[in-house]
This record gives sequence, structure tokens and C-alpha cells, in this order.
Amino acid sequence: MPKFHVYWIFTKKAFLRSAVYRFDVWSRLGSNLIFLLMWGSIWTALYAGREEAGGISFQAMLTYIVVSQFLTGVNGAGTPLWEIQEKVRTGDIALELMRPFNVPLRYLFADFGSVTFYIVTALLPIYAILFIFMDFTLPTDIITWVSFIAAAFIGFLIRYCIEMSFGLLSFFLVETGGIEDIFYFAMSLLSGSVIPLWFFPEWLAKIAAYLPFQGIYYIPNAIFIGEIAGGEILLSIGLQIFWLIICYFLLRLVWNRASHKVVVQGG
Amino acid sequence: MAAIKYVNLYFKLISAGIRAQMQYRFAFIMRIIGLITAYTGTAVTMWVMLYQFQVLGSWTFFEMLFLYAIAILSWGFCVILFLHFRSLDTYILNGTFDRFLVRPINPFFHFMAMKFDMASFGQFIFSLIIFIWVSLELHIEWSSGKVLFLLASIIGGILIQGGMLVLISAIAFWTTKSQQFYWVVMYPARNLTNYPLVIYPKIVQWIAAFVVPFGFVNYFPAAVILEKGTPFFPVSIGYFSPLVGLVFFMIAYCVWMLGLSRYKSTGS
Repeated sequence: MPKFHVYWIFTKKAFLRSAVYRFDVWSRLGSNLIFLLMWGSIWTALYAGREEAGGISFQAMLTYIVVSQFLTGVNGAGTPLWEIQEKVRTGDIALELMRPFNVPLRYLFADFGSVTFYIVTALLPIYAILFIFMDFTLPTDIITWVSFIAAAFIGFLIRYCIEMSFGLLSFFLVETGGIEDIFYFAMSLLSGSVIPLWFFPEWLAKIAAYLPFQGIYYIPNAIFIGEIAGGEILLSIGLQIFWLIICYFLLRLVWNRASHKVVVQGG
Repeated sequence: MAAIKYVNLYFKLISAGIRAQMQYRFAFIMRIIGLITAYTGTAVTMWVMLYQFQVLGSWTFFEMLFLYAIAILSWGFCVILFLHFRSLDTYILNGTFDRFLVRPINPFFHFMAMKFDMASFGQFIFSLIIFIWVSLELHIEWSSGKVLFLLASIIGGILIQGGMLVLISAIAFWTTKSQQFYWVVMYPARNLTNYPLVIYPKIVQWIAAFVVPFGFVNYFPAAVILEKGTPFFPVSIGYFSPLVGLVFFMIAYCVWMLGLSRYKSTGS
């Protein structure tokens, strides 16, 4: 059993560190809001004045995009992938390997810190204002709220495991460019972050349904707007947990392989 | 004569860079594959988006692809010429910028010719395939006038986006920060213009036309070639693309030179 109080310190340190780099926080929020404007406009234009399309009301669809953009902000506030890859390339990762903690877990806890700072100081205030002044669908019962937060959190963990596993590929491949781009594309499209799965062509929706990415955005978003409701919520969260376990073992496998294969590149 | 000297010098400087990049052939090919995949990803997203809805603000899938390809093609040239301007802050902070000041050539030119990113072949391959595909699908008749217009607008697009990169880098002279401004201002703005401007609120369209003139990179020229309407703007506005690019780039160049004149080395 890992000693969590050790990792807790990383969370606190990351939180404080974010407070120092406040410009980063603001610039990240700025670009997040521009993308919100973009996707909001796109969906407004796609609906083109219609009240509903494919059984989804316009209001629900806009809410879906806003929640999705909020979660994109949350998921993007951690340690960027390239920073870890840079550590692998320069060999700095060796220093971390010598220390008595689990490196993926250490980064996860550090992410908790920086993400919390970002949510509290930037995302939550702005999105709260949006929800007050705009006419979005808010869940009315506490169960939906709780299951949304749970699903969003599990989604965050799934995303972390997958992204970290990919980041660690740089242990094996010096250049990961092409693979990374395929990964980011799959993540943005198949997770339903910008287009909900119900608007997909049938064959693509089927593919997405058999992949873990839907757990990151689609499931929490759909719970929020009530598209996934009642017993389906439990089923969806169960599916998320199933994928989380698989992705966790994937990460462990990659990490075990990687830490035994530190290539000394000299320099 | 000075111009010819500079052109020769440019090719000498970049040919060294090209030879260096070709030493890492695997990395080079991987990056091109990566770029093409990323752009194809956005195109696929557009296709999925329009699968149920057919049109986005009166633009069909192929028209949007065309719009996207113009942006990518001019961006490809921008990557070669100007993309490294965004990391001027790193050069200033490390003190390595000073070496551009001690040579007997224009520092702006020297900094521009410092890097030549071969991976922009990815942009060229992608946009050319799209151009051919869309031309066949939409039966665009490429008269010589249209081809000339397209080339002129692409030069305009290079100058507008390049000018923006130069402006962003100039901020580093005052604040020693530039890379971040790229990610906050330019990256989202480029993404915004991948979609027809007509879908955005009026104020955004105005900004994209008259403040940060990204609308002239692809939206206005594409509307002329595809003969589509541009609400709020006269139809012929697309013809101004090269002029806007020229003026915008001149402004950016002057700001950069102004910043340079008050530049003090960090001395590290």
C-alpha cells in the first residue's frame, strides 16, 4: 500500500507552484474560453435555429459543449505530456527513478494540486457566471450532481492513465510524433469531447463504444444533461471503472517495462 | 543588389539547416506522418460533424475542406519562415539572441533564416491532396485568373500569419515572454478560422477582419473562389487579401524593429 501522506505533499507543492505561475493560469483560461466560443458557435450554426435535432434539444446540446469545455480545462491543467517526455530525453527521469516513490502516482498527485488550483481560481468562477447568465440545463437532483462529479473524476483518471502510458512510450521510441497525433485525434473525437456519440455515423459510434475514450468526456457530459439517466448511470460508471482498471494495468505494464529500459544516450 | 545578396544568403543558411535535419531521417518522416494525421483528424472531425447536419452556416463539407486547405497551405510556408519567431523569448532569456546582433546583416533577416523546418512538407502534401479532391468534387474550374488569385491570397495569408508571429515575438522585447502568447492568441485564432467565420458572433467577425485579420487568410478568399456570400461584408473583400497581408506585415516588422531598438541583453 503506497504511503499517501508522501504523495499528498506533492499535491500541496503543485498547488502552491501554480499560485506562483499565475500568468499561466490566466492564459490557459483565455484559450479555453476561445475554444468554448468556437464550439458554441459551431453547434449554434449546426442547429441553425432548430429547437431540437436527433432528439436532443438545442439547450441540452449547448450545455453538453460547455460542460465538455470545462472538463477539457480540468484535464489539461496537469503536467503536460511533453514535460515528462523531455525528462526522459534529457535523462532527468533517472533522478526520479532513484527516489522511493512511484513516479506515475507522484505525477498524478501533483496534478491533483495544480488542477485544484486551476479549478478554484479560474474555471469555476467563470463557468459559474456562464451558468448564471445563460440558459443552460442544470441537473435538478443531487444524485445527478454526485454521479456527474464521480464520472468526471473517473474520466480524469482514465485520461491520466492513457496519456501517461503514451508519454512513457518515449522510453522506447526517441521520436513519438506520429503516434502521438493519432492518439490526440482519437482522444478528441472518440471521447465525444466536441461531438456527442449520438451524432456519430453508426459504425463510428460502435467503434467508440468499444474504446475507453468515451469515459473521459462523453459519459460525464451525458450524465450532466440527463441523456444518461436512471439505471443507465450505474451501468456507465461501471463501464468507466472497467476501463479505468484496464488502463491502470496498461500504465503499470508500460511503466515496469520502461523503468527497466533506461537507455543511456550519453551527452 | 542587396536583395539578391540576401536571397543567396538565405539559401546558404537554410541549406545547412536542411542537411542537419536530414541526418535524422526517421524523426523527419515520423513528424510528417504526425502532421498529416493531425490535419486529417480535424478533417474527419468536420466530416463527422456534418454527417447528420449537412451544412454549417451554409458551408458544406467539401467547401469547409477547401477553406481548411487554404489555411494549412499558407501555414506550411509560415512554419518554414516564421514559426520559430514564437520562441524568441527563449533566445533572449538564454542570451543566445545576441549572436544575431553581431553579424553584418539585418538581425530580422538573420533570425528568420536561422531555421528551416522541413516537416512543413506535411502541410504541403495534405493541402495539395485536399485541393485536388475538392476541385474534383465541387467541379471548380481553375481558370488562370483563379489560380493567380489563389496564389496571391496564399501569399497574403503567409504575410498575415507571419506578421502575427512577428508581432507575438516582438512582445518578448518588452516582457521576455512570447511563446505563451502564441498559445493563447494565435493557436486558438488559427483554430477558429478553420471554420467559416459566418458562424461566429458579429463582433468576432469584425475582429477577424479588421483587428487580427485572419479572415483574409482563408475565409474571404475561399468565399470568392467558391462564390459564396459573406454576410456583413462585401463579396469582393477577398480580393484585398494580399494588400492586407502586406500592410499587416509591414506594421509587424516595424514593431519588431522598434522592440529591437530598445532591447537590452539579459547578460546571462
